[in-house]
Amino acid sequence: MPDQEKKPVDTAAIASMLKKKEPEMKRVLNYCLRCSICAESCFLYMAHDGDPQYMPSYKVINSLGKLYKKKGNVDREFLEGIKGLVWRNCVLCHRCYCPIGIDIPRMIDFTRSICRSEGVYPEQDGGESWL
Amino acid sequence: MIIAERKPLDEIKDMVRGYKRVLNVGCGGCTSICLAGGQKEVNTLNADLKKALGAEDVHLEIDGFVIERQCNYDFFEALDEKAGNYDAILSMACGVGVQFVAERYPETPVFPALNTVFCGADRDIGWFEESCRTCGECVLAETGGICPVTRCAKGLFNGPCGGTRLDGTCEVDKDTPCAWYEIYKRLKAQGRLENILKIKPPRQWENQTRRSLVQEDYKQRYIG
Amino acid sequence: MKSGSNLEKILTAGHFAFTGEVGPPRGANVEAVREKAKHLKGMVDMANMTDNQTAMVRMSSWAGSLILLDEGIEPNYQMVCRDRNRIAMQSDILGAYAHGIRNILCLSGDHQQFGDHPKSKGVYDVDSIQLISIVKKMRDEGTFLGGDELNGVPKMFIGAAANPFGEPVEWRVHRLAKKVAAGADFIQTQCIFNMERMREWVHQANDMGLTEKVYILAGVTPMKSVGMAKYMKNNVPGMDVPDEIIKRLQGVEKKKVADEGIKIACEQIEEFKEMKGIAGVHLMPIEWEHRVPEIAERAKMLPRPKV
Ligand code: SF4
Ligand code: SF4
Ligand code: SF4
Ligand code: SF4
Repeated sequence: MPDQEKKPVDTAAIASMLKKKEPEMKRVLNYCLRCSICAESCFLYMAHDGDPQYMPSYKVINSLGKLYKKKGNVDREFLEGIKGLVWRNCVLCHRCYCPIGIDIPRMIDFTRSICRSEGVYPEQDGGESWL
Repeated sequence: MIIAERKPLDEIKDMVRGYKRVLNVGCGGCTSICLAGGQKEVNTLNADLKKALGAEDVHLEIDGFVIERQCNYDFFEALDEKAGNYDAILSMACGVGVQFVAERYPETPVFPALNTVFCGADRDIGWFEESCRTCGECVLAETGGICPVTRCAKGLFNGPCGGTRLDGTCEVDKDTPCAWYEIYKRLKAQGRLENILKIKPPRQWENQTRRSLVQEDYKQRYIG
Repeated sequence: MKSGSNLEKILTAGHFAFTGEVGPPRGANVEAVREKAKHLKGMVDMANMTDNQTAMVRMSSWAGSLILLDEGIEPNYQMVCRDRNRIAMQSDILGAYAHGIRNILCLSGDHQQFGDHPKSKGVYDVDSIQLISIVKKMRDEGTFLGGDELNGVPKMFIGAAANPFGEPVEWRVHRLAKKVAAGADFIQTQCIFNMERMREWVHQANDMGLTEKVYILAGVTPMKSVGMAKYMKNNVPGMDVPDEIIKRLQGVEKKKVADEGIKIACEQIEEFKEMKGIAGVHLMPIEWEHRVPEIAERAKMLPRPKV
């Protein structure tokens, strides 16, 4: 795994991970009402003065949502790019509330797993400027 | 945050020796942040174990996997799918996580790869300091935000003891400031010395039984 | 009378008290205690029996205290918070009292790290000030800390230690005040070498009215050698040994150093006798019990009053 970083992303593996969660993902993408009720239930969103980057639905749609739309056909740069959204912008505290029952932290957890499977995860020893 | 450190390799080696297939599970929470049990550390430990056991002609099949938090079953789904394929599980979470994993898979031996050391803060990258012993009856309001339970070697509540060195360091270590000297200085600067002039009576320790906590707003949900 | 101990009688009668100290052996050697005790008999009003001092395992202090009693010396039973919780403490106090022990000295105790079992678990269930209040509660309210009534009340004369030195210096007298408020009847101080600081501390205690509420016995330790003085200065936490003391010891011929040490101690005692707010002296000759008669004599502390 350590030299995984140099290898190209295993898009087939990502696609099969996505496949397994298809029903849940569809629900997020098709039924999220963009009602922004979840926004105010996220303490990070509130703490960042309503920065949309911290809105629960935004975080999912712009990470997992994009992954799903691209059917896993992404490169390392893409995964590195969503790292901030799924790690820095969400602490998986489970506080957010979605009126149609979308489990946001679970989706973010799942996105993190996909990143991890390709060796993309935050560097706690100083490599990440936002930590 | 919980701070942990990796156990000596020999100790971990002795735990897993004898198992053919082992899964090493990292934690994306505290032990990632304190650089003891995140994804990187899982990879390193696996490589170290393979090498060490290889030198003894023992072939170990060990895989790594990280879940975001081992202290909440909401994050276990992916692990549930894998756990059954292994003879033993190593956990690189704190003791909380190890126990939660062991409870989840009662048929499988689960071993701790870390020593859970304390609750502390990050002074800098890779440098942590203990600051709370989770005593259950926080006295920081009276002690100027400096914990005597953790930082006074004797855990005194009416300190300082007679052993404080002349320069204000603790009797047990000339490089450690006496907690009570620090408390005194801070309260004095804030004009709040009266806080520690009163006698603090013997406290009611919370160490009798396993503690559990339901926050006020959730009482109805769990207790009714 | 709170306890009727000899020390209490001496102090309430207005005599200048003179107390000593015995360290129990690192083993079950009864004779060792008796031998040390013999030198103190008739020389002091009471002798402390130390409780695993410097966290080295020794014969227990209540057992040592009983041997002192047997030798005709009133013991001061030392109890540290390091080794026992509130249950063991209260139970030991009852047992000690049942066997005739009437004085107790409540201490935090040296940290276990200094001793021969440095990785033992420190107990510190309560601290020394809380221990004082427990003994007082037992004596004055006739109940345990937990509130239940005692079947037989231990009437102890309650002692505490005080260290006038070490940071935060301004706090030291407040710490004394807390011990008095918690219920200390008498105080034995840390070994005093820095007389200037001691005078200041006693002065503060007088100003705060503390010396009217508590008897302060000043701790005196004769230096046996230059090496001992240096060791205490550098290695014993909380000990304040001014350079003048070391210089003075260095200034005499080698075989006269011990004599000079005793001379310094006697001078201190003379000053304490006159010092307002000091009710006596606590002599702590470290492994020098056999010189106590000589020191008592030279310090003009003999004969001890009968009360
Ligand atoms: S789980 Fe994430 S998105 Fe939901 S409230 Fe917590 S930080 Fe916000
Ligand atoms: S299992 Fe332990 S290390 Fe992991 S997040 Fe929970 S408390 Fe932190
Ligand atoms: S007093 Fe200290 S140990 Fe207790 S809760 Fe507060 S910080 Fe934690
Ligand atoms: S010197 Fe200070 S920190 Fe150390 S044990 Fe004594 S009171 Fe506590």
